[in-house]
Order: sequence, then C-alpha cells, then structure tokens
Amino acid sequence: MLYQNTLQLAEHSQGAYEITDLISTIITESKIHTGTCHLFIHNSSSAILISDTADDSTKDMTADFMAQLAPSSTDANENINNAMNAVPPTMKHARSQSELTIPITNGRPGIGVWQGIFLWEYKSSPVERKLTVTIMGEAKHKSFRLTR
Amino acid sequence: MVHQQQLRFSTDGRGTYNISQQISDVIQKSAIQSGICQIFIQHTSASLILCENADPTVRSDLDAFMKRLVPDGDSLFKHKDEGPDDMPAHVRTVLTESSLSIPVCEGKANLGIWQGIYLWEHRTGSFKRNLSITIIGE
Repeated sequence: MLYQNTLQLAEHSQGAYEITDLISTIITESKIHTGTCHLFIHNSSSAILISDTADDSTKDMTADFMAQLAPSSTDANENINNAMNAVPPTMKHARSQSELTIPITNGRPGIGVWQGIFLWEYKSSPVERKLTVTIMGEAKHKSFRLTR
Repeated sequence: MVHQQQLRFSTDGRGTYNISQQISDVIQKSAIQSGICQIFIQHTSASLILCENADPTVRSDLDAFMKRLVPDGDSLFKHKDEGPDDMPAHVRTVLTESSLSIPVCEGKANLGIWQGIYLWEHRTGSFKRNLSITIIGE
C-alpha cells in the first residue's frame, strides 16, 4: 500500500520548526499501520532533521554550531548579502539532510520519546517550502464478525 | 510485504559498534528476498553510519575527527545538564544519520564487501539504544 502527499509549508525564517504533529496527521490519513514514512524537501537551503525535544536549547545550540561551521555574511550591501547568504545555507544543507525516513509503528511515527521531526530553515529571509511525504506499508488487518 | 522489529543494544562508552550481523539476522527472519531495509535509531545522542569494516583504526580516526570538530565542553554550548559530552552528542548525531536504508537482494543485505553498519554512540557513558528495523519488499 502506498500513500503520497505533497504539501506546501508556510513561510519560515532561519530556525528549526517542529513538524512532528503534521507528519503524524498525514500518517493517520494514510491509514498505514506498519511501514515507513519518507520525507523529502524540494530545495537545497533547508533540511529535514531529527532533533531532541526535551530541551529547546539543544536545537538552538545545534543551529549555533552550524552557523559557526558555515557563517552567513553580515555585509550591509544587500546584493552581496543575498549572494553570500545563498552559499552558507547550501553548505549547511549538504551536511544535513534533504530526506529522512522514519518507521511507522501502530499507525504512528515510530520515533523515540525525546525525538521530534524538524524543518531547519537556513535562509534568513522567510521562504515557502515544498515537502513530499511518501508512506509505504500495510494497513492493519481489521478483525470482523461473520453475520448471518 | 512488511516486516518490522525492534532491536536493543547496550553501549559502553563513545565509539562505533558493528551491528551488521544483527541487521542481517532480521532480514533473514523477514523472509523478504528483494526490497529495502530501513534502520532507524530512536535517540538524539547516538546515530548510524555505514563505514569501512576492515581496519578498526578508520573508525577510531573518525571519532578523533569528530572530537576535534565538536569538542567536549565547548564554551559555545549552554546545554550541558548531563555533562560536557551532552551537547556535542546531539551535534554529532545531526552530522551523521538517524536513518539508513539499504537494499535487500536475494534475501541478504546488499552491502559492499568493505561496508559495515555501525551504531555510533556519542555519549561517554553506558546506554541502552533502541532501533526500529522495517523491511519492505517481496
């Protein structure tokens, strides 16, 4: 059984945004009980990542580390800034993930208690993002009664 | 056809643990001949990698490289509730993989001769790590 949905994510500026509830809803819609859920983001300057949900500072610190690894320009010249702004997000993207596969167990995302699914936007100006969700697996075998 | 199974591993300090055999066992148990095996680790301070399996120094060098890239106790990090290795473990996880998909051909994990599947423990203590293995195919 296969279910696929492409959705437009609202505009977000630089940062990490949790989309676990959204993905759970799509999994419920698919009616697939056991299988896998593949998430794919259609661009090269944001990413789909699993991160810790226990402490908000965890994702902030990871973002700080990524910023240090591929810093954005602080140049005031807008044209240069646009060009410079485009390179670090691509580098960050290359070291993070455009796609992620998670298991589906009992019709829910089979992720850990402290795990959440996040959209990581690396561009500083707000952008709309397209995400394709592909779910493969088996629906639960419904038990039924024989009626006369 | 779908086969799903949970595996639990005990780790004893930072480093890589070869789990290729355990994954092969799950594939064999599924009886799926051709398809995809998806491995997912349910933690944010341990991860998965495919790595060369011949010379163990490759993996200790990888760990040494990570240690230099993401130093323990770095002043950049404020999240240190569980010690100096706490936040670096989360960063190391993001820089590696939480999810791996490998092909299943003729009922076996179709890895390269020198490839192995490793669980990479990023914390310095001992932990129990849960993995969810889903095999889809026919």
